[in-house]
Amino acid sequence: MRRILIVMALALAVAAPFLLAGQSYYSGLLAYAAVLAIFGLSINLTVGYLGLISFGHAAFFGLGAYVAGLAIVNFGVNYWVTLLFAPIPAALLGALVGFASVRLGGAYFAIATLTTAEILRLVVSNWIDLTRGPLGLIVRRPRVETLESLGLVFHQYYLLATLLGLGLAVLIVHRLLESPTGRSWKVIRESNALAESIGIPTMRQRVMAIALSGGLAGFAGVLFIPRTLVLTPDLFNPMLSATGLLIAILGGKGTLIGPLLGGAIFAALPETLRFVDEYRIAIFALILLAVIRIQPAGLAPLFHLTRPFRTPGAPAKGGEIAFEPSPRLVVTDLTKRFGGLTAVDNVSMTIEPGELVGIIGPNGAGKTTCLSLISGFTPPTAGEIRYGERKVTGDSPSSLVNEGLARTFQQAALCGSQTVFENVLAATSCPEPASLLSSVLRGPGWRAREARRVRRAWECLAFVGLTERAALEAGSLPYGEQKMLAIAVSLATQPRLLMLDEPAAGLNHTEANRLADLLRSLRQRGLTIVLVDHNLRMMMALCDRIIVLDRGRLIAQGTPAEIQADKAVIAAYLGGYTAEEAQNA
Amino acid sequence: MLELLLQQAVNGLTQGMAYALVALGLTMIFGVLHIINFSHGELYMLGGLMAVVATTMLGLPYGLALVLAVVAVVAIAALVDLVAVRPVLPTKDGPSTVLLSTFAVSLLLHQSVLSTWGPNPSRVEGLAGSLSLGPIVITNHRLLVLVSGVVILLAIEYVLRRTLVGRRIRAVAQSEFAAQVVGIDVARIRTLTFLGAAAIAAIAGALIAPVSLFTPSMGQHAIITAFVVVVIGGMGNATGAVVCGLLLGLLEALASAFMPQDMGTAVIYALLLIFLLIRPQGLFAGRAR
Repeated sequence: MRRILIVMALALAVAAPFLLAGQSYYSGLLAYAAVLAIFGLSINLTVGYLGLISFGHAAFFGLGAYVAGLAIVNFGVNYWVTLLFAPIPAALLGALVGFASVRLGGAYFAIATLTTAEILRLVVSNWIDLTRGPLGLIVRRPRVETLESLGLVFHQYYLLATLLGLGLAVLIVHRLLESPTGRSWKVIRESNALAESIGIPTMRQRVMAIALSGGLAGFAGVLFIPRTLVLTPDLFNPMLSATGLLIAILGGKGTLIGPLLGGAIFAALPETLRFVDEYRIAIFALILLAVIRIQPAGLAPLFHLTRPFRTPGAPAKGGEIAFEPSPRLVVTDLTKRFGGLTAVDNVSMTIEPGELVGIIGPNGAGKTTCLSLISGFTPPTAGEIRYGERKVTGDSPSSLVNEGLARTFQQAALCGSQTVFENVLAATSCPEPASLLSSVLRGPGWRAREARRVRRAWECLAFVGLTERAALEAGSLPYGEQKMLAIAVSLATQPRLLMLDEPAAGLNHTEANRLADLLRSLRQRGLTIVLVDHNLRMMMALCDRIIVLDRGRLIAQGTPAEIQADKAVIAAYLGGYTAEEAQNA
Repeated sequence: MLELLLQQAVNGLTQGMAYALVALGLTMIFGVLHIINFSHGELYMLGGLMAVVATTMLGLPYGLALVLAVVAVVAIAALVDLVAVRPVLPTKDGPSTVLLSTFAVSLLLHQSVLSTWGPNPSRVEGLAGSLSLGPIVITNHRLLVLVSGVVILLAIEYVLRRTLVGRRIRAVAQSEFAAQVVGIDVARIRTLTFLGAAAIAAIAGALIAPVSLFTPSMGQHAIITAFVVVVIGGMGNATGAVVCGLLLGLLEALASAFMPQDMGTAVIYALLLIFLLIRPQGLFAGRAR
């Protein structure tokens, strides 16, 4: 059904310029709808997929148009050539604004884009020598002799060009969405910490996505030129940004079809609203308010035009997962203070390759903080962490995961609304990365890597025993299975050393036994494991060596038997303080 | 030259006081509700509009116009709260959805005024007369803006530090959960903060209208400037908002002595991006809270 619709839409798009041969008005309107759809698509990248609201995408749209216009007017560059390079400055501006604002959180991006658009509007209005200010930059209609000699009229091949541009934009975004890049966007949207923990460099991915969005908006701006032919500072108007935002939200956030719907509506709407011209924008605002309150997901879901994730087939022969040997992890004098509280106090430890080391200690001993320090989620106050030859203190979590140093969280962190398989698949881009360009082009090399990613995801799922659950929503799994899934996700990053934070917490007896078997089996396959847990029976049975923390300090380490006999450990657990210690405590 | 600069500085401080008041409201709402009220600038514009309507159309004295502005704008803000903030905040992605819904409200308010009133600036008669301090002339109205600004700031400080309502507001700002546990009606405190900030914006708008003329687009400029102020001063930092508001007003006025006004505005807007890049925590983030 969906496929038939796509084929019909394509056929209509190809036929449109010819069907509308004598209808330059409608042909122009359709071209305008296509331009708006590209613009909406670009805003949907940030608003829909990254969850970053933009109030100033007109900055990128206008910049693209002005760069092309200035190149045409001042250097006599052919309009059709500017389509290739004029979007680049908009992409760079996107990267800059994104870099400046996204590390602070979503609202800053909205403000930064709005401000950028206003700055550009003010500069373009006042730099009269360059831009002729409010009078506008006049561009001649870019006619193509060869096409006209074939009997095509300008509005026909302009429409064809905009539809081609839209097709290209949809294709690029569609391919990215079903690639490591798009998967990482979805995880980042869900949780930044989760994304970092599966090796996604969140900052870089976000900045790249915003740059792409800026570039697309710039492209839409260049495509807009033949329709307006006069470039004025109004291109940077907040109204245009608002229109684009509304196209993305009304059409359907985070859908491919949404901006197309929205673009068509907003090309036609001003024509139908002509009788209330002055209040048009106020009506837009009311529509926006109504959509937010009544149908926040937009129009696309109403028509069932979005496709659920299709789980690729499992490989016939289940492969075995294996792990590369880990280098030695050496922690020296690690200290973390939160204000007056010293959570981790001068802890030094070494994790040898192939070991299964347990960290135990009473509540508040600093076990989880220790994991967070080693995995890069919390910067240490003092101390040094070395992984193999490299000093990794202060590295980002995602870069550590790419080195092979992964962790899980106490509360299973998952993308609840995605399928079990998608959750694991997103993590496979860590060992099998793909560049933005390769994901768009999809050459044989990319396809082979994608097949390996899918296979690895299946292997990890099979290993934790969740193959049957692959197509279910992760959030619908029972608690124990969610914890298993979180382990499968970590395994998909191909770790060499895995740190598990209380994997047995909340599991029943059977589940805990299965977990212990699983951990033993992982260790046999060469994975080095650091385990934090309260289930002492399991820890004593499982671990080669146990490290005991108490009140931030390392008080003992040794084999399970040694630890069970250690006086300090017994004191820490049973509260056997001496009178002097009790006073100090 | 020095005299010109001093004169500009006095004028800039007046405008800066308005920025400070708008930014203070924005940052208060952020501190208590953890949202960005994008329509805040339009409430300031409506304050100015009410001053025009009351003085030139209804022929009321200026003092009464101030009162009318506050009453009318608080009523509108209550409606905004009811439609675009209160029901949206508890939904999924609440804070970012409120950013969108208040954006829609700001468009609605701005466009409605623009379409009915027209884009042209309108004059408002404020206090007459002026005061000469050596070579510098300061109109009585500018003096009124500065004095009322200081009085409002002191009053806010007093309410927040010394009254029960103020303590409740600060409690909600620190932890909604803990506030709820000790029996504070969090929803009421949120609304109260929202309306209080609106009242301050309305006064600021009504006070500044006689100085810099009323235009329907004054709200848009004010909200962006307030964002710049809030980013430089540190999000949620009240002292930062006031100090930076005054400073930006000063800077804008001094810059206008050297370059076209629009370019000065562009430079000030660019400060936002510069600060986001080099000092995102704001100027006043030294003290940990």
